Amino acid sequence: MGVDIEVLKNVSGEEYKYGFSTDIEMDMAPIGLNEETVRFISQKKNEPEWLLEWRLKGLNQFFQSNKPTWQNFELPDIDFQKIFYYAAPRNKSNLNSLDEVDPELLITFEKLGIPLTEQKLLAGVAVDAVFDSVSVVTTFKEKLNEMGIIFCSFGEAVQEYPELVKKYLGSVVPYTDNFYASLNAAVFSDGSFAYIPKGVRCPMELSTYFRINAENTGQFERTLIIADEGSYVSYLEGCTAPKRDENQLHAAVVELVALDNAEIKYSTVQNWYPGDKDGNGGIYNFVTKRGICKGINSKISWTQVETGSAITWKYPSVILKGDNSTGEFYSVALTRNKQIADTGTKMIHLGKNTRSRIISKGISAGHGNNSYRGLVSVSKGADNSRNFTQCDSLLIGDECGAHTFPYIESKNNTAILEHEATTSKIGEDQIFYLNQRGIDTEQAVALIVNGYAREVLNQLPMEFAVEAQKLLAISLEGSVG
Amino acid sequence: MITEINNSLYDQFIADFEERAARIENESVYSLRKKAMEQFKLLGFPSTKVEDWKYTNVMPFLSADFTFKQPVNTNTTEVGIQQFRIAALECYQIVLLNGEYQPQLSDEIVNKNISVTSLKESYQEETFQKNFGQQLNLNKHHFGALNTAFFKDGLFITTKDNAVAEKPLHIIYLFDSDANLFIQPRHLFVFGKNSNTTLIETYVAANVNSKVFINSVSEITMGENASLHHYNIQTPHDGTVLINHTEVNQKDSSCYNNYCTSFPGADLIRNNLNVALEGENIGSHLYGLYLVADKQLIDNHTLVDHRKPHCQSNELYKGVMKENALGVFNGKVLVRKDAQKTNAFQQNNNLMLSSSAVIESKPQLEIFADDVKCSHGSTVGRFNEDALFYLRSRGISEEQAIALLINAFVFDVTEKIPIPAIQLHINKLIEQSLNELETVS
Repeated sequence: MGVDIEVLKNVSGEEYKYGFSTDIEMDMAPIGLNEETVRFISQKKNEPEWLLEWRLKGLNQFFQSNKPTWQNFELPDIDFQKIFYYAAPRNKSNLNSLDEVDPELLITFEKLGIPLTEQKLLAGVAVDAVFDSVSVVTTFKEKLNEMGIIFCSFGEAVQEYPELVKKYLGSVVPYTDNFYASLNAAVFSDGSFAYIPKGVRCPMELSTYFRINAENTGQFERTLIIADEGSYVSYLEGCTAPKRDENQLHAAVVELVALDNAEIKYSTVQNWYPGDKDGNGGIYNFVTKRGICKGINSKISWTQVETGSAITWKYPSVILKGDNSTGEFYSVALTRNKQIADTGTKMIHLGKNTRSRIISKGISAGHGNNSYRGLVSVSKGADNSRNFTQCDSLLIGDECGAHTFPYIESKNNTAILEHEATTSKIGEDQIFYLNQRGIDTEQAVALIVNGYAREVLNQLPMEFAVEAQKLLAISLEGSVG
Repeated sequence: MITEINNSLYDQFIADFEERAARIENESVYSLRKKAMEQFKLLGFPSTKVEDWKYTNVMPFLSADFTFKQPVNTNTTEVGIQQFRIAALECYQIVLLNGEYQPQLSDEIVNKNISVTSLKESYQEETFQKNFGQQLNLNKHHFGALNTAFFKDGLFITTKDNAVAEKPLHIIYLFDSDANLFIQPRHLFVFGKNSNTTLIETYVAANVNSKVFINSVSEITMGENASLHHYNIQTPHDGTVLINHTEVNQKDSSCYNNYCTSFPGADLIRNNLNVALEGENIGSHLYGLYLVADKQLIDNHTLVDHRKPHCQSNELYKGVMKENALGVFNGKVLVRKDAQKTNAFQQNNNLMLSSSAVIESKPQLEIFADDVKCSHGSTVGRFNEDALFYLRSRGISEEQAIALLINAFVFDVTEKIPIPAIQLHINKLIEQSLNELETVS
């Protein structure tokens, strides 16, 4: 690859194509974090008393706890008093159809290629679009309602299904969980809520599209998905943000609850603005994602393709509480330029005959640093549990780093745990083989990387898989040989 | 970080240090001690909040009353030591009693290229001054800092360039005391260019009824092209805590082989083995075997630090956990930016014999170079039911079948031992500790 490296280092990377910003009148909370802010948000959203109390408890916890120090990167100093905690497009109240949505907003989503308009029936995806902190529009609502499926913004759920929200909010990720989860509990502004009733198989993909637009704002959404007995749902999440020189914080929380025989499939294609090639700007993506397989035979599967963000720091986890439950984690994380990813999963085996499978593929290019950090824990009662972990790293260029920190803890002798990890670069002979068949080096690398990530990409729903594949190829352009 | 429990021990150390300060032994050693003491004051004893001690809580072991003074009356005799020899092994025997070198109990080294002396008598040696305290990072290692501040004695072994030790050097650590002992031996081993040495360290179960806390630090420097086979055979008695920190520094084309075997006995064994590959074309092979018995904790931490290109490292640790055993493995392979063309391999397998045994395994890779091949693997499980059934169906009793399977499991490690006498010795120790195995669930 010797010759190509020089050439490719000079080729500039493809510009971040979602880097535009939209001029929309915004409703903002006063800058800074204090009880007033929390009360302001709560009041804006017309929330019941118990939720406000819960938020305040979260705020208290946040002020009491210290920033984590164990991560494998320098945690940038974030001034929590210089962030707007609430930003919403104005005139949002009581929209009945898409026609009433601010046209600027629609154009934005148009540019992003999100099937908001219901004409795009063929796309077959129900979308909840979250603009800055607030859910702006949810499509296909009626069709879903017919089957008893609830899919709406979090704020709406608080108003209309308070008993469901109250029962499950914080049951998987309590406000005491970690530093950023506490912050989220205090100031979360909106997010998506989904409930799949007993025995219903959700006929379409549910999808949330997140976009940060306003300057100096943080995005703190909260997603709660409950799959009742015997139900199935596949959920997608995508994200973009405009190019800005400052770093923006995204600290979301996702909670999944799967009851008896239920299955939740959660897919993420994360493409927040990663900052420029010198590492200026970009999103700090500090997200807490966790699911609980509460009932027997339940299943939760996380799939993530992480190409964006200046720093990605998240561990989508599964608590395998029900007997015979299954947890899966498939991840592709790509870092280039000065991007950092510290991601992985936790599989907590509590029930008998629980199974988990972890496939993590890290790709580091440029000055990127990619860490896999994972925990597989088997408790005393988790008889016959089984885990298979594979985490591979691919290094492209000699300035990047790949790290693996797996924690394997077993307190049960009937458990069988396997872990394997490899680190290597793209073989020169592989490139050569493709070159001599007339494929240029850049395409060859994209081809090899796609093959390398195939195992994970295959888990994504069709539309997303195509998008993710393109995203990987685009992200790699100019950074590899 | 310093909790109530070991406050008294901590105070005891401070007092002891001040008493020592009164009689300065050597300017440079003292200044290092002072630095280490400052560092220890800062760090204290490690709590489980410290990542490297996450699974190993030393606090309960520090609560006993310890004395730092050497007992005066000992009844260890030459005859008594005979039982600790490895059968059929030709070697130079070097005896340390409570961490101090005993020339009168040790063999005389006839090979003029090898020198074995007591550490405290070697402060003036040039090799000592050049190498002592160079490897150990005081800022990171709590017990390393403590040892540096308080060590009394240990071994200083050097071999000249081109020296070939015709017999292995066998270091026997003996303990003899009626009071609870806290001892901190400190060793420095410097091996010359093209030298070839075999070093065996055995911690043996002596007839002591008291608690012994051993905090040992060894620094090993290997010259270019040097070869070293380093054995650790750990069979200390009940009530012992062994913290064994080894720092190895390898120069170009040297080859280091470590065989670390730990057997039931001690309450806690913690091995820190840090190997720095500071040169090109180096080979490092680390083999470990730990049999962990009831209520015992054996913790192996290794760090293989690839600093230069074209090196190869290979690590294989296997563990067998019985009864309420707790096993910990933490292996880290670090490949620095300059270390292109590195081949690093690491594997950790654990066999769980009882339902109440616990294993915590953490293999780590940190890679900063792209043209490398690195992999690691870790497994936890119990033996294959089918294999057991196969053996039973051929008329082999359950106990025998299990012994056979365990032997097959550890064979990957034991077969690597090049000296037949030592291999035999270790196999015997394995058999012994398995015989103590009462019930298998």
